[in-house]
Amino acid sequence: MNRLKYILKRVLMAVPVLWLGTSMTWFIIYQGPVDPAANLLSGSERLTETKYEAARTELGLDQPPLQHYVDWMWSLFTLDLGQTWLIYPGSSVGALVLDFLPRTVWLGFWSVLIAVCVGIPLGFYAGIRSNTVADYIASVSGIVWRAMPNFWLAVILLAVLVGSESLLGFDWDSFLIRLPTGVTGNPGLSYMAGDPLALFTQPRDTLAAIKKVLPAAVVLGSASMGNEMRIGRTAVLEAKNEQYVEFARARGVSGRAIVWKHVFRNALVPLVPVITTEAFLLIGGSVLVESVFGINGMGKLFFDAAIQGDLPLVGSLMFVFIVLLLSINLAQDVLYTLIDPRVGYEGT
Amino acid sequence: MRNPRPAAVWVGVAAVLFGLQAGAVAQLLASGLADAVAALPGVAVPAGLAALERAADAIPTLLSRETIPNRGYYDGSGYVGTFLGLAPDVAWLLRAALIYAYSFVTLGWLWVGYERYRTHYRIADWTPRDDVIDRFRGHRWGLFGVAVVVMFLVMVAFAPALSPTTTAANLENPYSHEITYWTGSGTETVTVGQANLGSGSQGTPQENVGPMQYDDFGRFHPFGTLPGGKDLFTFIAHGSRISLVIGLVSVGLSVTVAIVLALLSAYYKGKVDLGAVLVSDAVLGMPQLLLLIMLSVILSGTWIGKIYSGAFVLALIFAGTGWPAMWRSFRGPALQVSNREWVDAAKSFGQTPTTIMRKHMLPYITGYVLVYGSMTLGGAIIAIAGLSFLGLGVNPPTPEWGRAVNAGQEYVTTASWHISLIPGVLITLVVTGFNALGDGVRDAIDPESDAEEAGGASGRGGGA
Repeated sequence: MNRLKYILKRVLMAVPVLWLGTSMTWFIIYQGPVDPAANLLSGSERLTETKYEAARTELGLDQPPLQHYVDWMWSLFTLDLGQTWLIYPGSSVGALVLDFLPRTVWLGFWSVLIAVCVGIPLGFYAGIRSNTVADYIASVSGIVWRAMPNFWLAVILLAVLVGSESLLGFDWDSFLIRLPTGVTGNPGLSYMAGDPLALFTQPRDTLAAIKKVLPAAVVLGSASMGNEMRIGRTAVLEAKNEQYVEFARARGVSGRAIVWKHVFRNALVPLVPVITTEAFLLIGGSVLVESVFGINGMGKLFFDAAIQGDLPLVGSLMFVFIVLLLSINLAQDVLYTLIDPRVGYEGT
Repeated sequence: MRNPRPAAVWVGVAAVLFGLQAGAVAQLLASGLADAVAALPGVAVPAGLAALERAADAIPTLLSRETIPNRGYYDGSGYVGTFLGLAPDVAWLLRAALIYAYSFVTLGWLWVGYERYRTHYRIADWTPRDDVIDRFRGHRWGLFGVAVVVMFLVMVAFAPALSPTTTAANLENPYSHEITYWTGSGTETVTVGQANLGSGSQGTPQENVGPMQYDDFGRFHPFGTLPGGKDLFTFIAHGSRISLVIGLVSVGLSVTVAIVLALLSAYYKGKVDLGAVLVSDAVLGMPQLLLLIMLSVILSGTWIGKIYSGAFVLALIFAGTGWPAMWRSFRGPALQVSNREWVDAAKSFGQTPTTIMRKHMLPYITGYVLVYGSMTLGGAIIAIAGLSFLGLGVNPPTPEWGRAVNAGQEYVTTASWHISLIPGVLITLVVTGFNALGDGVRDAIDPESDAEEAGGASGRGGGA
């Protein structure tokens, strides 16, 4: 029962966090130095009193602030995200999010997967062969990889892929699967609309969508990859020196079995929070990576809204991000109690 | 003092070393003061300050543009105006090499001073801190970090002297400064602005001034030029200043908040701790980079957003969004120390909570400040560069590294690859250096610690 209690406690903790985060967003946007209503009007419209008043009424800003706050919070928590003003004017934010979110999820999924599939094995390899040349090369490249700014890496990778024919000797656009629209742009996910199974039944489209998002995913996952490598290496080094490993060795268990059954399994535990903490990096990094690679995802939507001053949209999107992050965190907690049963009892 | 000789020798050499650069120090202080006053809204720089700045400029310095000039022109038979008539590139390299040699000698001399103090004057033969320092000395990765960080700091401190040209002439007011150059048959004078138009790096081999090359006007560019013909090295050297200032201010502020909160929550526990957890989780629940974007858009129009080209408000935002991650890292050690016997003893002794926190808990966690501060500084540099890459944050024309990456975005695979590549490599190097320094300090303070897990995300600037 303790595990259930622990998870319940985490859920309860998430509620005030969600409330506080959303309230801060409201305060920044509606009580900040920028008038959101005036921001939504063009230069000439701003001068006409009626238009301005209409915009204020539409946003509910003619109410007293407390009333507005309650209304705003209520509509968000009932998932009524309002409408857009400057970006795709007049469409509902909910529909917009549903349209943009799949691309970001697709990008995030592949960037996590690539980081996990490259970073962890490399880290484990370095940990098992610690203090060899291979370990040093892997460790140093992991550290440098981690320090590289995403936006710069994206710019360089994009340029190299666009000019791949002359630089690398093969043309990225027609490599394996032909991409008619070049390196940048949205991954074609529409074939899955209404039929999620198309992911498996139409492998050609799936492959094309993966290839399209691959460079962006590699960049976005770069920091996580370096992180996972580093931590995977330390975890293996620690697990290697545990007493149960020595005991197993003394009992004559083969080296292979020790590595797979005892070292790797226990080394995986500290990696779980690392993978989920990277959700923060992924969402922040998606702004830059999506901007460089021209993917119309949530990050780019948020950035465009902020740049053009569509503050109501910025607020709604921030709410979506907060909910997203909190759910990832909760998922992590659940996963963690499954992998490492000790966790629920430490009173964290 | 029983034996004054080592101290006297040390002070003598130190005085000479300082005397060589006294002018630069005075200049830095005076210009810093003037900048700080000018940054305040609605205050004109008083005449006294301007006079102070001029007086500081007049003090001769060995390693300056004036003593070793690299700007000159070829008049058909030899160089006019450069140091000893050397070619501009040689003169510049000489100056840069001297500046770095001077900095490392000074640093080495400070180390010598510490060792002399340790062997000749300190009463205790051994203190626990000696072990920390000795461990750090044997930590090669940490020493690499120190070297990189020192090189970066030297670039920040000596930016005007290191740059081949000045910001005023090359970046800010190119049309009110003139240069003379050799046309092949005679000398001619043009404004810097016009010369810049003819020396931009636009991607084609004809219109490109790469690293370590001269442009058509006889000007030497160690890192090449920007697409608009401005000198990339001057841009980067001065951009490093703003990165470091933002980084230091924001890290200083967030460290202060984080330490105070960590001490309070560790001492009082219970509700105070829970409250701090909730607030920090709420701030952490909003992705840092998105919060940075949102706040820098909203605050850009206000008076606070105009201080120091928008860098100050950026530092504030960064501190406001960065403290929770840092507090989380300090919370563990603070909780640990609050359970030690000496804290209990102090409590039963009747000491006030503030005294206990300051005297018996704070010293235990100060080591971690250096570890996380150094890693977060690296993250701040990345995040600020990322924001200016997007066109937010530090306002042009103030140079910032991210803007150079943005400017060179179209030219990466062309002849003008240097515009994006060099700033990016430098950011990577500097951030790696700060991380390595943090690693080294961590291993020196507590060889058993596994603090990197918690600090993993803090060194990344919210994913920029």
